[in-house]
Parts: sequence; C-alpha cells; structure tokens
Amino acid sequence: MDFAFTEEQQVLRDEIVRFARAELNGDIEARDREGVFPHELWKRCGEMKLQGLPVPEGLGGVGLDALSTAIALEALGYGCRDGGLVFAVCAHLLACVIPVWKHGSPEQHARYLPGLAGGGLIAVNGMTEPGSGSDAFAMSTRAEADGDGFRLHGTKTFSSNGPVADVAVVYAVTAPEKKLGRITAFLIEKDTPGFSSGQTFHKMGLHTCPIGELVFEDCHVGPETVIGGVGGGETIFAQSMEWERICLVAGHVGTMQRLLEQAVEHARTRQASGRPIGRFQAVSHRIADMKVRLEAARLLTYRAAWRLGRSRESALDASITKLFASEALVDSALDTVRILGGSGYMAEYEAERALRDAVGGVLYSGTSDVQRNIIARWLGLLG
Amino acid sequence: MADRQNEITTATKAFILKEFLPGEDPDELLDTTPLLSGGILDSISTVKLVGFLEDTYGIEFQAHEISEDHLDTLQLVAQLVQEKLGSS
Repeated sequence: MDFAFTEEQQVLRDEIVRFARAELNGDIEARDREGVFPHELWKRCGEMKLQGLPVPEGLGGVGLDALSTAIALEALGYGCRDGGLVFAVCAHLLACVIPVWKHGSPEQHARYLPGLAGGGLIAVNGMTEPGSGSDAFAMSTRAEADGDGFRLHGTKTFSSNGPVADVAVVYAVTAPEKKLGRITAFLIEKDTPGFSSGQTFHKMGLHTCPIGELVFEDCHVGPETVIGGVGGGETIFAQSMEWERICLVAGHVGTMQRLLEQAVEHARTRQASGRPIGRFQAVSHRIADMKVRLEAARLLTYRAAWRLGRSRESALDASITKLFASEALVDSALDTVRILGGSGYMAEYEAERALRDAVGGVLYSGTSDVQRNIIARWLGLLG
Repeated sequence: MADRQNEITTATKAFILKEFLPGEDPDELLDTTPLLSGGILDSISTVKLVGFLEDTYGIEFQAHEISEDHLDTLQLVAQLVQEKLGSS
C-alpha cells in the first residue's frame, strides 16, 4: 500500500477543490436556511461527472478506482461547504449508482448510467422503513410475483434525495420464507403507476439534501426492473454500504481538513489577554486532537478504499472506517465551534452548520452502534 | 468429478467447523445439514464463507448466488463451486 498521490490523483484533487470553491459555495447560508435543493449545482457536478466517478468511461463515468474515488470525494468535502449537496451526491453515487453499475443488466446500464453519472438523473435509495432502520432486512415492503413481473406494496422512509429523485433503487421481500436470498433490488422510475412520494421531513442538518418517503401501492413492475437477479438484494445492499461507509466518509475527511484550517487560522489571529488564543494550551491541545483525528480518519479511509473490491473483508474495513470518521467529524466540528467561541455559534461562520451536518453521519448508513455490532460479529463475538 | 466435489465439501466443512462451530463434533455436520436456514451461518459468516471459497478456488459469486438456494448445505456449496470451476 502506497498512499502517495499519483500525478493524476493530485490533478484530480486540485481540479475538484478549485471547482467546488468556485462553483458550489455561493448562497450556501440562504440555501441551508431555506432548505433548497440546488438543482443547478447538481447539474454542474454532473458536468464534472462527480456522480459517476468510479463508473467506467464507456458507461458515462470517469472510470476511477475506489481509492481515487475516495480522494475525489475528500476533495469535494474540502472544497464544497454545502454539506447537504456533498451528501446528496454521495448518497446518489454510492447507494444507487454503484448497485446499478455493479449488478445492473446491459439494458439498465444503457438506459440509466449516462444520466445517473452525468447529473441528468437523481436517484434515491429505498431501504429504511417506518418499522425497520438498523435492522434493515426486517423490512415489510413486499414484491409479490405477478405474471412475469412483481407487484410492490410498502413504504420507505428517510430516503435521501427522495423528494427530487427521478429513479429509485428499492429493496423488497420476494421470498419471505428464506433467511438469505429473501430480498430483491429493483430500479423503478418515478412516474411508474403506484409509486409516489409521501411525506417530506425537516431535519437537523444537511438541509439542502431533501429527505422523504417513497410509497408503493399496488405498484406493478416488469422483470427488467430487477437488479442483479431475484434474491440478490441483501448482497447488493451490503456492497453499496461498503462503498458508502468508505467513500462517503472520505467527504468527512475533507470537511475535517477544512475545519482544522479554520480553527488554526482563528487560533492564530484571535487575541485574548494580549496574545493569540492558540498560545493557550486549552486551545492548542484541542486543535492537536483535531489533527490526530483527521490523519487517522484519512489513513483508515485510504486503506479501506484501497481494499474495497479486493477482499470480502472490506465490509469490516467499511464499518471501522465509518464508525471512526463519522464520530471524528462530530468531535472536530464541535471543537471548531468551541474554538471560535460565540462566532462559532453564529451561522455566518459556518461552523454551526458543519456541526449540524456532521451529526447525521453517526446515524445514516448504519448508526455507530450498528457499526460496533458489525465489527464484533466479524470478530466472532456476537451471534 | 466426484473426487473434486468431495474435496470441495471436505475443505468447506473444515472451514465452517473451524470458524463457526469450534468444538462441535464434525460428524454432526452432514453434507445435507441446513447452514443458512438452520441458523449455523448468519449474513456475516456467509460473507466469510464466500470470501474463503473465492480466495481458495479463484472464483467469484454473483449477488443472487449468495442465498439459501445456492449455499444452504455443503452439498449445494460444492455443486456451485464445481459449476463455477467448470465454466471458468
């Protein structure tokens, strides 16, 4: 393992940072306050193919390996101060585009991947339900065989991008009697009869990424909507979570870098008792801890991304990385608020928004305690 | 062909006994013992088993193959691995 950037990776990183700073940060405070999804910026990201970073060029993407994808998303998290937009891109790419690319049919690839990778389409992942969150596979949404297709009944909730999505990757039970192989993944277009958007939700952070329900009432879909074969849902979802838990937190690493720089700058210039506050150990040690968290999270992320797809154990790497990096981001965002003091609590300094956005990270894609359970199970400690 | 299948069954059985059933009587784990539906393997131990098979035999499993239909007994596992080896 050698994590020194190649020339291509350095160019990629620099290009995304420059793009994000120049194009994605305008009006962020107002967007966040009003909870507006930035459609135009989504399209700009699509022109950069950020929504298709690992998808092969022939299918509409950039063709990056997983490590380079993580480096690119780290750059996005660093340059883009709109945490909701970064999250929207990551949720779309990692939980939706990855399953379609990895397991979709040639027809699904041709019909959807160019739009998904190029910003012409927005996708939502339909997994969580009102009665199942951390125990995701205990879902109640059913897809009953009907002719050569399926008929879906059920409601998905807390679906990021749901209110603005064009297509949904939806998981439903097709073989309730089985313990594994009971769930199938479907790719369903928004205007399919019987598929509608339900309630939308207001949340603590990530305001520019809308979240809501997906409702399926007697929704008939053809066999061409199945992703990866009937009964493959658990494995497809698990693989998408490996990508999400590794590459989404790469964005966290970028955000932590930005917060560290903000904290250092403030500590060097803000005076108290006639000297910069960074001269006080209480402040400098807090910033030192931020630096340690950043470097540890970055190394975990790079290692996990490097191993992604090389070993089935990358599922364990993903949980370790997600647990550490998401908790580290919350701690570092709160430390930034503390270091900035009263300013840190004010919207215009943006640290309070970073903190609100960070909290979601210890919940989505499996809570921190779920990650601990997974790690323990890999160690043979929980049955 | 039968020898190859027996060899796969023996190696898979040894892996399951070592990883998931330490201390259990090997004679209790039959070629037809239900592994997934019987609760011996959960989702993570199934992934570990699949990783072992992929690494040992240089094969790759499709998403829908990681299911009860294909992996519920040692017999089914050996059949699938042999099919994959035959088609590779």
